[in-house]
Amino acid sequence: MDLTTVTVALASKSYDKLADICDNLMLQVAAEGISYQEEWPYSIHLLSHFYVNDITSARFLWKSIPSSIKESQPEVTAVWKIGQQLWLRDYAGVHEAIRGFDWSQDLQGLVAAFSELYTRKMFQLLLSAYSTISIQDTALFLGMNEEDATNYVLQQGWTVDHASQMLTVKKQPIVTEQKLDPSKLQRLTEYVFHLEH
Amino acid sequence: MEPLQALITQIQGLSSSASDISRLHSILKQADSSLRSDPDRLSPLLSNLDPSLHSLGFLFILEASLVFPVSKQQAEISVPIITRFISACSAEQIRLAPDKFISVCKTLKDQVTLLEAPIRGVAPMLTALRKLQVSTERLTPLHSEFLLLCLLAKCYKTGLSILEDDIFEVDQPRDLFLYCYYGGMICIGQKHFPKALDLLHNVVTAPMSTLNAIAVEAYKKYILVSLIRHGQFSTSLPKYSSSVAQRNLKNFCQPYIELANSYGTGKIAELEEYVQANTNKFESDNNLGLVKQVVSSMYKRNIQRLTQTYLTLSLQDIANTVQLNSPKGAEMHVLQMIQDGEIYATINQKDGMVRFLEDPEQYKTCEMIEHIDSSIQRVMALSRKLATMDEQISCDHLYLSKAGRERQRYDFDDFDVPTRFNI
Amino acid sequence: MEGDDETSGPMIDEIYANGDDNRPRKPIYSGDQLDIEVYASLYTGRTKIMRLLFVADRCGEKNNTAMQLEALRMAFDEIKKGENTQLFREVVQKIDGRLGSGYDLDVAWAENVDRRAEAKKEKLENELNAYRTNLIKESIRMGYNDFGDFYYAHGQLGDAFKSYVRTRDYCTTSKHIIHMCMSAILVSIEMGQFTHVTSYVSKAEQAPESLDTITVAKLRCAAGLANLEAKKYKLAARKFLETGPELGSHYNEVIAPQDVATYGGLCALATFDRTELKNKVIDNLNFRNFLELVPEVRELINDFYSSHYASCLEYLGNLKANLLLDIHLHDHVMTLYDQIRHKALIQYTHPFVSVDLNMMANAFKTTVAGLEKELEALITDNQIQARIDSHNKILYARHADQRNATFQRVLETGREFDRDVRSMLLRSNILKHEYNVRASRKL
Repeated sequence: MDLTTVTVALASKSYDKLADICDNLMLQVAAEGISYQEEWPYSIHLLSHFYVNDITSARFLWKSIPSSIKESQPEVTAVWKIGQQLWLRDYAGVHEAIRGFDWSQDLQGLVAAFSELYTRKMFQLLLSAYSTISIQDTALFLGMNEEDATNYVLQQGWTVDHASQMLTVKKQPIVTEQKLDPSKLQRLTEYVFHLEH
Repeated sequence: MEPLQALITQIQGLSSSASDISRLHSILKQADSSLRSDPDRLSPLLSNLDPSLHSLGFLFILEASLVFPVSKQQAEISVPIITRFISACSAEQIRLAPDKFISVCKTLKDQVTLLEAPIRGVAPMLTALRKLQVSTERLTPLHSEFLLLCLLAKCYKTGLSILEDDIFEVDQPRDLFLYCYYGGMICIGQKHFPKALDLLHNVVTAPMSTLNAIAVEAYKKYILVSLIRHGQFSTSLPKYSSSVAQRNLKNFCQPYIELANSYGTGKIAELEEYVQANTNKFESDNNLGLVKQVVSSMYKRNIQRLTQTYLTLSLQDIANTVQLNSPKGAEMHVLQMIQDGEIYATINQKDGMVRFLEDPEQYKTCEMIEHIDSSIQRVMALSRKLATMDEQISCDHLYLSKAGRERQRYDFDDFDVPTRFNI
Repeated sequence: MEGDDETSGPMIDEIYANGDDNRPRKPIYSGDQLDIEVYASLYTGRTKIMRLLFVADRCGEKNNTAMQLEALRMAFDEIKKGENTQLFREVVQKIDGRLGSGYDLDVAWAENVDRRAEAKKEKLENELNAYRTNLIKESIRMGYNDFGDFYYAHGQLGDAFKSYVRTRDYCTTSKHIIHMCMSAILVSIEMGQFTHVTSYVSKAEQAPESLDTITVAKLRCAAGLANLEAKKYKLAARKFLETGPELGSHYNEVIAPQDVATYGGLCALATFDRTELKNKVIDNLNFRNFLELVPEVRELINDFYSSHYASCLEYLGNLKANLLLDIHLHDHVMTLYDQIRHKALIQYTHPFVSVDLNMMANAFKTTVAGLEKELEALITDNQIQARIDSHNKILYARHADQRNATFQRVLETGREFDRDVRSMLLRSNILKHEYNVRASRKL
């Protein structure tokens, strides 16, 4: 079985393309009648779905994994533990599951990249969903200890009230492109023409 | 020379130019019944043919060799042959004998199912479908086979790829029913509920003279997805639906109609009680998972309703109103909904309050204008298509003679654009 | 000059006073317990008895024994003036000896009345038979009419109704027809058959001769009652408001002019918009005559119109107990009150950009939490366009952004078009296919 495309993608850190690469390769290998399951990099495949936030696909993949593999490869089960927390939206649980396993050499880069991405996403979520939030909860969401979490958000301009242990969120202005190019006007003319005829 | 050997020679000789191939086609058709008389001798012959050059001949011989049901061992032999043929064959040649090609592909599906390895058929079936398809607007019998394999192999994401095509042309109503039903299931699995609703809606409202099981199952799922997506369900079908469906569908889906009624009251406890009492029915229909999603959607629905009424509301009040057991539970629900873009709000943990905001969309960004623009393009293309179709039908001899003879049966409504869309 | 200043002072106060704070208040009398004697004196005939019995039943439910017995005593006295022994026995049973020996079952009286009734019935039958043999239309009509009166007096309402209706074939003038209609209406009201009421009202109104003003007023009242029973409150309000002052106490076997004011006023308040309330109620000279009889209702309507909701609601609150004792209104009090309250809430919030919920709760004599729930329901129902800031307890008016709403609607319509056209094209393709299959089968 030729996993070159997967290793290349991993090496070049093209993690966002990994899910499609794995999906297609698996179908291709299966179509060729190769019994791929024992050697298939399920851990990478599952993580690649997490990376593009496609938990449903990860869940269906998990369901298709033979139970013998789930039993014999603890790392696959450990990866799915992350998936379970994502599925249940146990935000703190995701960080715990990431920390809770000693990942193999092959996986470390991908896990670290996902962990970083997830932390960034959690920060964005807190930014959009909260006006004030406790230091304790912030630490849980970001998967850090309270001191690191506080420092992390202070750098983003948040403020802390030590008495109440509350952080006040500083909203970032959203910049959007509003300039129109002239070709749109041309389009508009066409639409009016369409409506009149 | 032995007749089979002669046939092979002819295939080899007549597979290059279009006129040769058409001659070959008629020869093959004549030979078809004799081929079938002795399928066992056929497989060895295939090695004399190149599936990419001699696709048509290969197809006839392959198809004839696959006539009988097989054992697992035999399937292990024939599956790779079919798979290789599908990937190598020439689209132009196999389109001359679509029935044969479809039959081969269906055999592939049967055999990989027999081998309990549906995933082995997924990629080949997609290739086959694309080769057979003259246009992406045309539904082939392979569409539903492909979707079924995706479901069995749990490759839902792969299934989505063909559902993005707009289908307009259909040969067999049954193909459409299955395509929409399996497609609906794929979309439900991937939580693409709007698309799932469209597909299931097509099944339920399709013209039919007798009620079929696909429509009944589709209607059940349609009810559930409507509740998840829109928070409501109307039992009356549109007037263009077949009278069979309008009269009978409801009677076959009573537990689902009652579920929708219970949902309508907005009382979570009652809904949960109803689901509890009818778990067996939903489970035997394989809809229990979806029913559970219906239940949890009610929390969201009730929170969404609050956003229409309140600017700020305490987490405690939210928990009380939507019957969650703690303010923390309410906070988590609100947070998830913000994350999914289902509401606009900010949570103030300090005061235990939520502030509900208006949709920040101002319809001013380039991205939005791009979106509006593409919607307009789409609608224009569709209305052009509609006009063409209308013209075709009004010039169609069969239609005209029919419309003249029995105007009352084929109402103009069946073809007319709804009046509110007078573009 | 000084004098001018002095007079302008209170005027300004009047204008700025919102709510009930500075306004001179009249004490509300009708909040007191119902004076049964005064109440009963407004009515005559069967309705007087039935109203008293209704009051007694209601008081019984509320364990107000003193009032219950008072009502029963008066009902007893009233029944004994008539000939309805059935009702007599019932009321005695209800009294159950609690009023002393004077209110026991007077068997001799009852038997005597029954005997006389038997004799009278026989006499009426003989007379009617004689008329029928002679075929004198007018006499037959009279005969049936006498039968109607007889049955009505003895409480046999169904037979009374039949007898009155039978006179119809023998009516020779429109006066006769109107008489027949009025009798049928009276019996139907007592039976609670309000669909009959409606149909006989319209029959009477179709009479070729113009009706006298009293009869017109009576018909309006009857129609008003029928609409009230049918929960068509707006129609009921219109009918009561159209009732002429000529009614006076001419219809007190059915309704008192005070009732016209109360029923009409409350139904109007619950269903009319502000202009209608002004034009058809407050500026209605005819109706003003009725309202003078029940000053509380007049006051509460004026309070509502001039946005003195606290006072209006207080009047309503005080009236409630007595209205629940009314034989026709009791079933509708809650609905009408709810509607009036909703309208008051809506009207209160209407002119404001923001409203302090504490002040509003005060004006509506409720708690802030209770008010929030009421407002929530009205906003959900889209009757108030506003949102509640539950944190700061302020209601903010919501002004829909037309531009955004239009964009939203356009995109939604586009999506619907897209979906509908695609599925329509598919359907027509299937139809075409099926037709072709059928056509090829025929070949």
